Amino acid sequence: MNHHIGLCGVTKKFGGAVALDSVDVTIDRGTVHGLVGENGAGKSTLGKVIAGVHAPDAGEMTVNGEPVTLRTPRDALALGITLVAQELSLVPQLSATENIFLGIEHMRGPVIDHAATRLRLMELMEEYGIEVPPDQPVSRLSVADQQKVEILRSLARDADLIVMDEPTARLASTEAHNLRRTVAKLSAKGVTVIYISHFLEEVLDISDTVTIMRDGRVVRTAPTDTETRSGLIEGIVGRSLDTVFPIRRVPEPDAPPVLTVEGLTRQGHFRDVSLQVRAGEIVTLAGLVGSGRSDLARVLFGAEPPTDGTMTLDGRDYRPGSPRRAIRAGVAMVPESRATQGIFPLLPVRTNITLAHLAGFLTPGGVVRPLMESEAAEKVSEAVGLTGATIETRTAQLSGGNQQKTLFGRWLVARPRLFIADEPTRGVDVGAKRGIYNLLTQLASQGIAVLLVSSELEEVLGLAHRIIVMAGGRIVGELPGEGATETEVMNLAFGASAA
Amino acid sequence: MTQPRTPPPRRLAILTDYGIIWTTIGLFVLLGVTTEGFLSPANLRNILDQQSLLLITGAAMTLTLIGGNFDISISASAINAGIATALVVNATGNGLLGIVVGVAIGTVFGAVNGAVVSWIRVNSFIATLATSFVFYGIGFLMSDRNIIRIRETGFSDIARGRILGLTKATWIAIAVVALFWFVLSRTRFGRHVFAIGGAVEAARLAGVRVRMVTMATFVLVGSAAGLAGALSASRTLTAQPSDDFSHVFAVLAAVIVGGTSIAGGDGAVWRTVFGALFIALIINGFNLRQIDPIIQRLIQGGVIVAAVAVDNWTKSRRI
Repeated sequence: MNHHIGLCGVTKKFGGAVALDSVDVTIDRGTVHGLVGENGAGKSTLGKVIAGVHAPDAGEMTVNGEPVTLRTPRDALALGITLVAQELSLVPQLSATENIFLGIEHMRGPVIDHAATRLRLMELMEEYGIEVPPDQPVSRLSVADQQKVEILRSLARDADLIVMDEPTARLASTEAHNLRRTVAKLSAKGVTVIYISHFLEEVLDISDTVTIMRDGRVVRTAPTDTETRSGLIEGIVGRSLDTVFPIRRVPEPDAPPVLTVEGLTRQGHFRDVSLQVRAGEIVTLAGLVGSGRSDLARVLFGAEPPTDGTMTLDGRDYRPGSPRRAIRAGVAMVPESRATQGIFPLLPVRTNITLAHLAGFLTPGGVVRPLMESEAAEKVSEAVGLTGATIETRTAQLSGGNQQKTLFGRWLVARPRLFIADEPTRGVDVGAKRGIYNLLTQLASQGIAVLLVSSELEEVLGLAHRIIVMAGGRIVGELPGEGATETEVMNLAFGASAA
Repeated sequence: MTQPRTPPPRRLAILTDYGIIWTTIGLFVLLGVTTEGFLSPANLRNILDQQSLLLITGAAMTLTLIGGNFDISISASAINAGIATALVVNATGNGLLGIVVGVAIGTVFGAVNGAVVSWIRVNSFIATLATSFVFYGIGFLMSDRNIIRIRETGFSDIARGRILGLTKATWIAIAVVALFWFVLSRTRFGRHVFAIGGAVEAARLAGVRVRMVTMATFVLVGSAAGLAGALSASRTLTAQPSDDFSHVFAVLAAVIVGGTSIAGGDGAVWRTVFGALFIALIINGFNLRQIDPIIQRLIQGGVIVAAVAVDNWTKSRRI
């Protein structure tokens, strides 16, 4: 066989977190090579290293047997490697033709030679059997057609290796089917495709070889016809528990429900969600990215309006309408994106902590009482275990873990009834993770209802009293926290999405 | 993935955080040593009096900028306030009533701006540029395109009368600056202004009433512009319709040279005070040394670019 790409000992770290740990893979020319793994297993990072987006910290890469060093996507392109990312990168106002030939226009003197450009596009479309409307602004094209434009753009630059990162995540099922045909055509023409996907059926159907990744390492690479769906899932979840979880205290059997949701729907995001969270209980929402979990959390916090359904909090009708009213009703949320929805980087830790509950430290005229405020901020920062910073440190200077603890602190100034945390351990180091797990468990043991959205299976299993699995905007199953296995969760999460 | 960051060195913090103070003091000393007449009490009092109206609007504009917005229309608001004040004083003979009406006009205009920005969600720069033209037009209508002379000459006492050697306009400016300083740094409202300018979605998710607070920053800067316009009428005993944007540019220059971020979320009222004084000292020094006013403008423009460049350069250290 003809080796197209070889990776040997490739390691990539982001800060303290190891995204790729000594990865060895060979990819053969003209094959479709599937990459599967959990969220955060390192498959996207691997794709980006191959496409020159990330430079590896260690290890070697060869293209056609020649050792190469790729520092930018431009370097990769010079070797015929391109990436079609999940978020497409087209200029929306320009036509397909203009996008495809952007920067490599056929010129006649100082002006673009439209006839020659058009001719070249026709040749390309015919050669690969990929058709797109050439003249409309791409913003008017469907996502599927936009994707084809990206693929044609790669081909127009003589790419012979295309990395596709979750290409079907945003496609309807018929479109996804068409994409598979496109990939098959590319491969028939000798183009190598690296196909990164959550959808196992798709990978089994389309790829020649499949590599399973977990925790930044390669579990195995094997010909696809020797793999099965259950075999892939087993490889994906594996065993890797090096984080110690605090002991789960079982909530009182007669603990009253704090949050009850019936038939909650937000058009286009999630449908017909019914669930309950009791006092002292940790309920986790598991599922793949894009399954509607974060949207549900935002609706519960009043950040988005629902289109249908009812919510009750402590037995009373609960219609927040805005985060402000949700907070007043006793709901707290640590949002998904710490950087844009959570912290105020230019403000000190103190202000970040007290902002949502300043009413507790005011004179009747609305003036902040500095001593009371500092005292409360001190107390909270101690309670959340903030290390290496004072309450007057600018929040931008804190590590991701300490920023996240600051956000937890914001909601501990006043005791909430319902605590929602959306991916609270994303991008934080192991030590801070453990601190956050302890906090969540403590909150529950104080009788607070905790709803945790998490894509990390080990924390879903390690913390939850109950696990609710969502897929495609619906609840697809519920498992008890004690005794559930990663395979069970993943079966539910993958099951519905592949249907 | 977020990368844990180690704090940058803070050794230069005292230089970079308070740079505008050091440069202003340095310039003050330089002028004191080199320029005859600069240190005379009359000259110093004069500088303060000349800056008083700019400081009134500038203190309020600092809030607007920290909240992440611009208000270009304050020139127009001040002009309208002056005209309204002049008309009321001529009609009633009541100076105080004139000032109140002037402030009220500015407040109403500010509310219009706030509503357009907060509820119709027009970019604040464009919204207030557009309302500027409307307001200028109203000024011409209200004054019937005439210069209005205030017949009640005693009215000039409100701005030009002296207490302890300083003009009343100076004292009013000091009071307004102190008020906004307090509001911004010590009240919940001030906190919310910082939060919105720093990260608007995060502010909303922390329970801040984003639209109300944004609206309030426009109302306040409108009121301040109204007061400045009314005092200007008192000072000159005239009011004149025009479409002159110079007041807002002088105010923005002071706020920005002081080091308040045009991106929002960072700044202080004291910065604006030093920014205004810094620019005033440059102009005063030029005048005392009789430098051609055209050259003055060139240098003034250069200084503003330099100040913002230095601010950008030090920003990484300030964070």
